[in-house]
Amino acid sequence: MYATIKKRRLSQRGRQEQRTAYLCLIPAFVGLIFLTYLPLVAVFGISFFNWKGLSTPTFCGIENYIRLFTTDPYFKESIKVTVVFSILSVFGGMIYSLVVAMLLNRKIPARGFFRALFYLPYVLPAAAVYIGWSWLYETNFGLFNYILKSIGIDNVLFLNDTKYVIPSLALISVWLSGNLIVIFLAGLQNVPRVYHEAAEIDGANGFQRFLHVTLPSMTPIIFYNLLMSLITNMQVVTPALSLTNGGPGKSSMFITYLMYRYAFKSNQIGYACAISFIFFILIAIFTGIVFSTSKTWIYYEGGEE
Amino acid sequence: MGHLPTARTLLSSRRRREKIADTASFLILLIMAAGAMLPIWWIFRSSLMSNAELYSYPPKFFPSKWLFSNYVETLQAYDFGRYLINTMTIIVPSVFGGTVTATLCGYAFARLRFRGKKLLFTLCVGSMLLPGMVTLIPLYLMWTRIFHLNNSYLPLILPYFCGGAFNIFLIRQFISSIPRELDEAATIDGAGPMRVLVSILLPAIRAAIIVVALFLFIQMWNDLLQQTIYIDDPEKFTIAIGISMLKSGLKSDYAKIMAATCMAFVPGVIIYLCGQKYFVEGIVMTGMKN
Repeated sequence: MYATIKKRRLSQRGRQEQRTAYLCLIPAFVGLIFLTYLPLVAVFGISFFNWKGLSTPTFCGIENYIRLFTTDPYFKESIKVTVVFSILSVFGGMIYSLVVAMLLNRKIPARGFFRALFYLPYVLPAAAVYIGWSWLYETNFGLFNYILKSIGIDNVLFLNDTKYVIPSLALISVWLSGNLIVIFLAGLQNVPRVYHEAAEIDGANGFQRFLHVTLPSMTPIIFYNLLMSLITNMQVVTPALSLTNGGPGKSSMFITYLMYRYAFKSNQIGYACAISFIFFILIAIFTGIVFSTSKTWIYYEGGEE
Repeated sequence: MGHLPTARTLLSSRRRREKIADTASFLILLIMAAGAMLPIWWIFRSSLMSNAELYSYPPKFFPSKWLFSNYVETLQAYDFGRYLINTMTIIVPSVFGGTVTATLCGYAFARLRFRGKKLLFTLCVGSMLLPGMVTLIPLYLMWTRIFHLNNSYLPLILPYFCGGAFNIFLIRQFISSIPRELDEAATIDGAGPMRVLVSILLPAIRAAIIVVALFLFIQMWNDLLQQTIYIDDPEKFTIAIGISMLKSGLKSDYAKIMAATCMAFVPGVIIYLCGQKYFVEGIVMTGMKN
């Protein structure tokens, strides 16, 4: 008798708990369904329609996709530009932030100050950052050309040169990667000291310790940063929107910017959705590559997962 | 005896090496920090120069006269006060709503038992991998064609009320790291799940909540595309739209453009410095993934 009462009371509490949980989840899941998953389906659906602005959409099969891969003058270039920019920014950003994090992880004075300093660019509004940097890249009076000239290199057109515009923008993106630094630093502080000490007793020098102790225990965090940084950088649009307008020529025509132009400048909604969907597939392929290779290089302590 | 290193000499030589490495690290860091700050200094020093001085060669590292009047003149073309108010009108409700949702949802995933938890959690975290840009067009159509929200801040604000998968995940991690005994004691005393969250857990996860608020702030602060497509009315322009319009308007009046850039930098820096202490503590938790 006592046992059944106790059981009922527990289940009542369980039900209350479940109700509270669902109530807590409602706002987030309304968002996930209506702002993420359904729109994704909608992008795919709309991409099969010819829909110009306010006119009624007409079904056109895979015509949009055929046009993308055959006659579109920008599309192929935009994929190349986005991929090159992402690779430069991701690897540049990862190396830069890992180096800074490792230096910050030593016993140095004013560590908090330095950490704040390297993080600072990340809290500046991106549009203002790109505009500010455009003056640094100026051909005759900019900082970078001044530095190059003082070491005997001729003026570089940076943002106005089809060869240099992407590396120049990627450099800004590397500068903005303060967030990666802080996450790396947190990871470094979690590397157990005993591992370092054990390796040192075995006679490992600094570089060997980095290679065989620090790097393996950091792999889960490297994976996380790599993935997030890749997804962020592939979606880059602000530099084109605030500064280059995709130029010079089409050399900074990021996919996202191309999509924006078709959808909002020339009202080709169906066509822009086809670009969105291909863009989705492209990011999926890249994250897929990162995920599928991860098993070979991520080291899990205690062999879990 | 002099040839065989004793434990003590080994230790002291190791200490010395560590010390040299620390000093070297400090010096390298100092140079890198100077390099990282140089762009900001260059933008700031340019904002205080006359255009004649800006367009002279070789460039100077310090303005010959600090022309703070540049800022006053810039305000005529760049209505910073209005842009700041507009930007905050979007950011404040978004950050507030987003933080509340993320906290509730993170709490449910960390502590409460309910059917379908695993599936819902996967759906939630999995959406972190879905690029937001892909859904830009259908969302635009939804807000402007179905809800007729043209020139409104609501399409920018409302999505933030859904919390964001990353923030939910962060709060969940944080709550999971707090010993369960704490809230079990309260539960035995008869407190319901919401009571446990508000009076036991909230004070303990203050750092995480501040991090989430800062992340939401930065996310919106960095956005230009969404603000551009939803807002056409110059009265409603934000800091980000204002600065990109100014660039195309003033062309080569770089002293003023740099002054506007500096103004746009300030609010983010202030907010970051206020929350900085909690920030690092919170990010340590984000690194705990896997």
